[in-house]
Amino acid sequence: MATRVLIVDDHPSFRASARMLLEAEGYDVVGEAEDGRSGLAAARDLRPDVVLLDIQLPDIDGFQVAGELTANGQRSAVVLVSSRAREDLCGRVESSGARGFIPKSELSGAALEALIS
Amino acid sequence: MIGLRWALIGLGVLGVIAGVVPLVLGLSAPEVNDAELVTVFGPLVGWSFIGTGLFAWYRRPDNRFGALMTAVGFTWCLSGLTVDTTSGVFLIGLLFSSLPFALLFHMLCAFPSGRLEGRFGRAIVALGYFITTVLYWTILLFYDTTRDEWPDNPIQVFEDQSAADALLNLQSVLAIVAILGVPVVLWRQWKRASPAQHAVLAPVYGIAAVLMVMLVASLVADFGVMSNDLESAIDIAGLICLVLVPFAFLAGLARNRLSSAGAIGELVASLSEREGRRRSLRDALADALGDPGLTLAYWLPDREHYVNAEGEQMDLPGPGTGRVTTIVEHAGEPVAAIVYAASLADERELVDAVGAAATLTLENERLDAELRAKVAELRDQRSRSLGAALNERRRLERNLHDGAQQRLVSMALNLRLARARLDDPDKAAELLESAAGELDAAIAELRELARGIHPAVLSDRGLDAALEALALRSPVPVELEERVGERLPEPVELAAYFVVAEALTNVAKYASASRATVRAVRDNGHVIVEVADDGVGGADPSKGSGLRGLADRLCAVDGRLEVEDARGGGTLVRADIPCG
Repeated sequence: MATRVLIVDDHPSFRASARMLLEAEGYDVVGEAEDGRSGLAAARDLRPDVVLLDIQLPDIDGFQVAGELTANGQRSAVVLVSSRAREDLCGRVESSGARGFIPKSELSGAALEALIS
Repeated sequence: MIGLRWALIGLGVLGVIAGVVPLVLGLSAPEVNDAELVTVFGPLVGWSFIGTGLFAWYRRPDNRFGALMTAVGFTWCLSGLTVDTTSGVFLIGLLFSSLPFALLFHMLCAFPSGRLEGRFGRAIVALGYFITTVLYWTILLFYDTTRDEWPDNPIQVFEDQSAADALLNLQSVLAIVAILGVPVVLWRQWKRASPAQHAVLAPVYGIAAVLMVMLVASLVADFGVMSNDLESAIDIAGLICLVLVPFAFLAGLARNRLSSAGAIGELVASLSEREGRRRSLRDALADALGDPGLTLAYWLPDREHYVNAEGEQMDLPGPGTGRVTTIVEHAGEPVAAIVYAASLADERELVDAVGAAATLTLENERLDAELRAKVAELRDQRSRSLGAALNERRRLERNLHDGAQQRLVSMALNLRLARARLDDPDKAAELLESAAGELDAAIAELRELARGIHPAVLSDRGLDAALEALALRSPVPVELEERVGERLPEPVELAAYFVVAEALTNVAKYASASRATVRAVRDNGHVIVEVADDGVGGADPSKGSGLRGLADRLCAVDGRLEVEDARGGGTLVRADIPCG
């Protein structure tokens, strides 16, 4: 059974490219959300295996969304993405409760699998 | 003023005659009741009030006090006509015999401003006029004057003496109420008065207090509770007090002049102290005027507004604030404003004299305040410039992150996907086409961003070409009416360009305009740039960060920005930039 993914990002072009790329690699993209609050609601409703979560969102910070998702005991694995470099994040990924971080330009099914397996 | 002078001289001549009449009548009819008192005190009281009243009237024509005092003198002389046995003359004296007291109460309650302050004061004075006119003239309809060894009352129409007595008792009771109310009014005014005013009030209020006691005692005596000798002594003491009232006024005036001279002398001495020992100018002026709450405002001619000593803008108090203002001028130009308690409004001469004595010191402090205002403005401007630069960096980072960076990310993902789909040439071509589209969009966004940082067309071809490019890109039709026609120093071109760019952005965003015009002309060493539109108007540079940022940018090249509603509607943004 394919891994079910929710994409939370405020840039439509990234959401479209990520969906295409992940679906081509066998993932099932079950939903998209464009900000933190709707991402939290969608995660609650859809119960995806993975939440692919942008760090810079228009309403709530991606780290905060990751913290709420993991604190609520949801089984979804949270993977943070950003167009920033890893070294700019100052270790906040580890403390947020997320499984890991993938730079947006390096997103691939393999990179995702490495974090959630 | 000359007309008033002759009018007052005329009143003075009439006053002399008015005082002679009771004197002559009293001497010619010694058998009539009170003839001796009228003979002596008629002219004394009349002349003292008329003379002092005319003097006060001349000195302060806009103050009713002088007129009131003169009126007391004249009515007092008229009341002396009661010693004449001729029916008509006696009647005039009779009708006016009480009125001087109402005028006296009015005068005392309105001292020194000539105005009645507060409802209570007005009520007491109104009661006085009621007793001495309406009530007293009603009593005369019943009153048999022969009871007091006076001639027959020509207007007595009723023989009911009990009614007359009842009305007389009512008059006495109401008169006592009015008389006791006067010191209450005076006490309230004393509490509100400044120390400088106390010097003026003290002699008048002192004699008024004694006079009120005598008047009450005289009214109580009318109820027959005192011996005749004691009653006469009280009447005479009251009349002596009455004679002294105008002289108390003169004494107050003299004390005021002495205290004013003393205050100015102390002020001058205080201002002459060496630096370090000298008190602040505000404190020295506050002491001189006896107003601890006094404040100073300094005029800045360049900005056309007042500032406090710290250089912060301040408004002068308006009517009804309890504070009034005197402007101190030097060589016909305002230097500063002294803001003091409204209770000192009648000390205008003292305030003017104090201001004149401190003019040079005020001018020095004005220059200090001007300097502080400029320092504060520069500090604000620097702070705003730093804030604007920081905001600009944030905006650039955000634009890069949200724009070109996202497109490049998408392009990277599409290229990776295309590589994985090389086995499907159609799909791979579709993905490559999408990547190329993202790349074109990223290039366009980067170009726009670079133009916002520094427009290349401005460096390459000058202001006119850059403004043409702005006009072409504007979503609202723009007509370039005038051009400078030459290259200008780069900072000037850049400042002028950003004025037009920001103004046209605002026109497109907020003005609901159908068209805009742009003018850029060189005039007498300045570049004038104007952007006008036919939109809704109402732009406010103090509210939007864009226009305020422009003003700061212009300050850096000594330029000025004006934003106003254009004639016929819309907004006119005008920048004046010196360009050597």
